[in-house]
Amino acid sequence: MESWLNPNKNIRAQRAGCSAQMKKQNVRTLSLILCMFSYLLVGAAVFDALESETENSRRRILEQKRSEMKRKYRFSEDDYREIERVVLQAEPHRAGRQWKFAGSFYFAITVITTIGYGHAAPGTDAGKVFCMFYAVLGIPLTLVMFQSLGERMNTFVRYLLHKVKQCMGFRRTEVSMENMVFVGFLSCIGTLCVGAAAFSHFEGWSFFHAYYYCFITLTTIGFGDFVALQKKEDLQEKTPYVAFSFMYILVGLTVIGAFLNLVVLRFLTMNTEDERRDAQERASLKRDKGLLEGKSFLEPFGFDSKVRNPPKHSEAGAMTENTGQSKITFLVKQ
Amino acid sequence: MKRQNARTLALIISILTYLVVGAAVFETLESKQEKSHKRRLDARKYELMRKFNLTKANFEELELVVLQLKPHKAGVQWKFAGSFYFAITVITTIGYGHAAPSTDSGKVFCMFYALLGIPLTLVMFQSLGERINTFVKYLLHQAKKCLGMRQTEVSMANMVTVGFFSCMSTLCVGAAAFSHCEGWSFLHAFYYCFITLTTIGFGDYVALQRDDALQNDPRYVAFCFVYILMGLTVIGAFLNLVVLRFLTMNTEDERRDAKQRALMSLGKPRGEVTRLLPLSTSTSSTAVANNTTKAKDSKGAYTEVLHFQTICSCLWYRSKEKLQGSIPTMIPQEMTFSDAYLQQNSNCPHYIDPGSTGCVCSPRQCPSISSITTGLHILSPFNLFKRRSSV
Repeated sequence: MESWLNPNKNIRAQRAGCSAQMKKQNVRTLSLILCMFSYLLVGAAVFDALESETENSRRRILEQKRSEMKRKYRFSEDDYREIERVVLQAEPHRAGRQWKFAGSFYFAITVITTIGYGHAAPGTDAGKVFCMFYAVLGIPLTLVMFQSLGERMNTFVRYLLHKVKQCMGFRRTEVSMENMVFVGFLSCIGTLCVGAAAFSHFEGWSFFHAYYYCFITLTTIGFGDFVALQKKEDLQEKTPYVAFSFMYILVGLTVIGAFLNLVVLRFLTMNTEDERRDAQERASLKRDKGLLEGKSFLEPFGFDSKVRNPPKHSEAGAMTENTGQSKITFLVKQ
Repeated sequence: MKRQNARTLALIISILTYLVVGAAVFETLESKQEKSHKRRLDARKYELMRKFNLTKANFEELELVVLQLKPHKAGVQWKFAGSFYFAITVITTIGYGHAAPSTDSGKVFCMFYALLGIPLTLVMFQSLGERINTFVKYLLHQAKKCLGMRQTEVSMANMVTVGFFSCMSTLCVGAAAFSHCEGWSFLHAFYYCFITLTTIGFGDYVALQRDDALQNDPRYVAFCFVYILMGLTVIGAFLNLVVLRFLTMNTEDERRDAKQRALMSLGKPRGEVTRLLPLSTSTSSTAVANNTTKAKDSKGAYTEVLHFQTICSCLWYRSKEKLQGSIPTMIPQEMTFSDAYLQQNSNCPHYIDPGSTGCVCSPRQCPSISSITTGLHILSPFNLFKRRSSV
């Protein structure tokens, strides 16, 4: 991985001057934008290739069936539209009562975890408004909770692995990042498979469709093409299965969250930490020159011609580098 | 109980309570309307069945055809424009479901596509959001200077206010545009923008589904894509400003604990350690305060702290060499250092040969350590969520 993607390896960049460091965050951001756009283009092309033909043929078959039925029952165009309207509006009711307590709880889960199947969506305007306020507070709370719990899980797993390594008489008993990533990955796959087995049994889906459902749910995409607890009146009648589904979603999201906490979270704070490091350097330079007088060192684009990088200041910078993403940044204050 | 565990437990209980409360409110708001709506639709359905002399089986057959035709009603979904739209809903995790892969190979590709795309998108939005925040901070700073204000530093409150207003205006702009183009009421369009930009994506309202817009109206299609991506950036910037720090709380506490354990294991007398321990809490209170009256006091602490840091860095490098095996192995991987850093030892102005206790720095040689304020904070619930550093 190029050094500018790894926040812990920019000592040489530091010595090259502050303005080059500024560019690093911008370069990184620009490349990410380009990556994402190319990724979208490639994805669109592949989905087009995979789905377009099937879509066309299915549509033709269904439209044929529709005209057959129209002829058979002698519907006029308006008649058909009326029936279509009634059927589409009745669709969410097909799966039973959606807004009793169990269904509302299910809905609340899909809101704050941002899964958002859409199998049930607030029909009243008051419900829509409350849904928005509910999400505004609930989503950050949920994000923080899952990351918090995920970190605890990772720490516990690291401890267990350490003990296991000791018991098995390994020479080096430290738990490496590779170990953790491997265990995390296996847990995710395991969670998905357990869910797939359970839902394929209870919902009558194939194992593959149940696996796809679990994946789409636990990544919080939540298309809604497959939704659990939608067989007639399951929400009201099969309480243990309902409890299992809720638990599965929450625990599964925790496992995925723990894996993300292990692997992805550090990258989310890359730019922020580079900014902090730059600010610290500016501050330590000013300190050396005796210029510290509560002046704001918010010159984010670093157009400060006095900026240099004498080697002895790399300790202060190196200190925070050594602590990785540690936020013991005493220096960052107004 | 350890701070991280208490915090995690408190969060779990809050979430469960939040869910229960939400469920109760949604039930109150929606249940009655659901019942009456269903009754009306059933009545209408039986009317239609009688009118056209349909049996139950016939009607169910009809229902199936109508429901299966539903995605096709909105136009061709999988040509390039529609696939691009779908790809956006996958990697941003919005996931409307207005179109979902029907082939098995489409489903498989969708899963792999999401596996790589979602982290990439998360990192991209946070990266871009941070750049935007930095730029806004710079603009606000310049604006404050131009307006001739006495205090030209940009505070967190300023940033949060600006961020909040950007989010609200993004939602309002989208609401206005979509209510005009899709024929929704302003409230429904606002609700659509909100549900989209928070990536919930119910799919009850979906843009580009009227009159085959995906194929016929390229400008509107482009607008929708740009709106979704830019809106997510604005929301992402606000989250980067406000929420991201909380996602790393536990990890940082663990690091701090590990550091303290490591420092303690170097044989420092207990007295010095307890004097060092409250450093982070006293710094956090000054960092969070953000108050000019404390600026002068913190400036003094700042110099001492920087001094302390450079001392500690020598200590750390030295200890790593000497105590390879005895440092607790619970230190996270991130704290092991590359050998390059060890070479900087020679530049350390505070490097002194270890004394009898193995300590490199002692209060005699480093008066700043003893002068750092002690003031042990009693661990209160509020402290659980205090941040250790400001913007």
